Amino acid sequence: MRLLLWWGGRALSSAVTLLGISVLIFAALRLMPGGFAETILGPFATPEQKAELAARYGLDQSVLAQYGHWLAAFGTGDFGTSMISRQPVAAELAARLPVTAQLTLLAVAAAVLAGVPLGVVTAVRARPGGGGGAGRLLSGLGVSVPEFALGSLVVFVVSRYGLQTTGYLLPAAVLSIFAISATARTTRDAVLGVLVEQHITAAVARGETPWFIIRHHILRNAAGPVLTLTATITAYLLGGALIVEYLFNLPGIGSYVVQAVGRRDYAVVQAGVLLAAAVFIVMNVLVDLLVGLVDPRLGRRA
Amino acid sequence: MRNRLACGVAAVLTATSACGGGTAAAPGTPGGASADAKAPPGYLALADDKLPAGGALSFAVHIDSGAATGLDPQLADVATSWQLMSLVYETLVTVGPDFAPKPALAESWETPDPKTYVFHLRKGVAFSNGRAMTADDVVGSLKRLLAAKSVWRGQLGPVEKVAKVDAGTVRVTLAEPYTPFLAALANVPAAVLPMKEIEAGSLDPAKAMLGTGPFKVQDHRQDVSWSFVRNEHYWDKGKPAADSLSVTIAPEEAARVAAVQNGSAALASLGNVDSAAMLAGAADVKVATQATTDFYYLMLNSKNPKFADPRVRQAVNMALDRKQIAEVALGGQGRPTGVTPAGLPGACDPATLPSATGGGAAKAKELLAQAGAAGLSFTLSIYATEPAPAVAQVIQQNLQQAGVTVRIEQMDEASWAGKVYGKVPAPFDSALSWFAGYADPGMVTTWWNPDVAGFNQGFMQADKDLNALIARAGATPAGPERDKALAEVCAKVDTDSQMVPLVTRPATIAYRADAVSPSLYATEGYGNLLRLVADARVKRG
Repeated sequence: MRLLLWWGGRALSSAVTLLGISVLIFAALRLMPGGFAETILGPFATPEQKAELAARYGLDQSVLAQYGHWLAAFGTGDFGTSMISRQPVAAELAARLPVTAQLTLLAVAAAVLAGVPLGVVTAVRARPGGGGGAGRLLSGLGVSVPEFALGSLVVFVVSRYGLQTTGYLLPAAVLSIFAISATARTTRDAVLGVLVEQHITAAVARGETPWFIIRHHILRNAAGPVLTLTATITAYLLGGALIVEYLFNLPGIGSYVVQAVGRRDYAVVQAGVLLAAAVFIVMNVLVDLLVGLVDPRLGRRA
Repeated sequence: MRNRLACGVAAVLTATSACGGGTAAAPGTPGGASADAKAPPGYLALADDKLPAGGALSFAVHIDSGAATGLDPQLADVATSWQLMSLVYETLVTVGPDFAPKPALAESWETPDPKTYVFHLRKGVAFSNGRAMTADDVVGSLKRLLAAKSVWRGQLGPVEKVAKVDAGTVRVTLAEPYTPFLAALANVPAAVLPMKEIEAGSLDPAKAMLGTGPFKVQDHRQDVSWSFVRNEHYWDKGKPAADSLSVTIAPEEAARVAAVQNGSAALASLGNVDSAAMLAGAADVKVATQATTDFYYLMLNSKNPKFADPRVRQAVNMALDRKQIAEVALGGQGRPTGVTPAGLPGACDPATLPSATGGGAAKAKELLAQAGAAGLSFTLSIYATEPAPAVAQVIQQNLQQAGVTVRIEQMDEASWAGKVYGKVPAPFDSALSWFAGYADPGMVTTWWNPDVAGFNQGFMQADKDLNALIARAGATPAGPERDKALAEVCAKVDTDSQMVPLVTRPATIAYRADAVSPSLYATEGYGNLLRLVADARVKRG
């Protein structure tokens, strides 16, 4: 019963959040300066052409009616039609999803596989001279370097030597620098927090090996913030890695939505933003569940 | 994104979009910076026809054709769209490297009197579906264009009648003589469409392209890529030299630079002033600057009290240093211009205009004081696409010399377009954009008549005298008399100073000399980098 109530509460709060976001994005687009007509018909368009375009996409109706129609259609999986390509938005999003998903998968895998061990190592070697300082410096650098700077450098240097920048490895590597660094720093902080707890001292006193202690006593207890961060990075990247998509010319979801903002292609932006928000919400729910499984104390608190 | 206007004004949106800007080699070379020392006059490069035909070409451009009007060439108003559509569609006439009209789908033509054009159609022309092109297609296409709400309708002139004379002949009658008629006919919106299929409803030209051109579309993903293959029915045997052409849409300049460097694209359009330097030293990469007739212009909103007094506008115009704009903002690749684009035969000399001989910043200060506008301060609205911000900064510095304070307001293109074109009267002080210059010096002057242009009614007052001068220049046959008429238009536009022509806008191209042997005109009027792509040879092995 308690679980049911919990699920019900989460579902309701998620729905309310999504609804709020739908209002915000819908209103924001219409409040933005520069209307769709001047943008996608160009300055030479006659008033009749503008009216015809508005009628074709239902943009001549009241804003409330437009919102109602959009939301109702969205609920049935109809995300509308792009005013530029005249294709269903859902089809184009589906075509671009594999690009974004592969980038996300590679970057997140790198973050977990490299960031977590790095964080643990820098934490357990946090004593002076243990090498933890170098790790902190590197991860600090990784978090601070802007994606556009790192990406531009990688694209230029790699292509200058005649090497291809196509494929997903390089862009995923650029994305993963931040993800690995952030994961390493969060892991380090979490592990440091656990290391000072009494049960670790007890385990050391019992003569347990360092690896055993890390695996059984530290990782599980430090998992909460790391899982939360991983979920946030995953959700963020699934919404589209705009800069990397542009630099490596990958047709992912980020560049699609941003180009649509530039053209005031309402249906595309609305669908893209709302889906990205939905992904965030779902990821948050999932991570709450996962954290509860890994560390039941946190699950009870949730 | 943007990028979009060669775009007519459209330049705007597309501005950024539309046509890449750029810079590169030899400063100030009027005919562009040659990539090929052996290229004949009028060409930046000439394809080596000793290379075997066949193979696949891959190009990277910064923006796709993207408008609510879809793929209908008659409604396309930006150069980036014209460029892609020109691979599939052809016109009755085209332009040579010297801007002179050349036969295309019309093998020849006669002008028995200044108001009549008789076109003799080329035999053996077929659409890519195999159906032969007929005089009915030609007549139907022109009639459709005349009836369309198309930008190009305004450039086509006073066409009174289009009629089929016989199966191979079409006659066009004008109400008045109109010298730019053939140049206007040479651009993609005047292409011959498959009218039989359109009228039967089997082809929606907004959704699919079917033309007589060298290529046909195999695949298109909006904003991602185009894939073209040879049109087996193409009339010019032996062309296109390449079997296929893939065009990747890469909005980010760094991605296009990388594509040329690593060979994934054989040719790319560039927009950033620094890209040529980035490519310096890259093995087998050549960078060339194609001069264009496109030019930047400054809009001074005369419906705004700040610029209602012509003396204030003239003072601003006088204080501008066009040479400095060309040198500093465009890396020496642009040229000062009047309203008749520099580089076109018959264009006026900008150095002789009142603003150039008026006395510069000192005189501008005096003029402002006389107009009660000493210490003038205004906002210059620009879009973010390079090199517009650099042009704006030089303008800002120029005007500072005359005691004028300019605040630069940088916006995204859509917001900029909304502010400049969205309302009448327009709610801005001044704005910067560029026009395509086309292939005849009288064509772009049409946009200085707000009654014809329409888009500038929010910020420009019509001037009957100027409109009459524009019409006279359009009706006067090419020659010294017309040059004089065009010079009068230039001077009047300069004095009027509502839309102030500044400098021409170069286009930069990078290509792999080990992958392609392209043909490129030294100067382009319609923003069409792919104009001679059917001649390009693929280098292999």
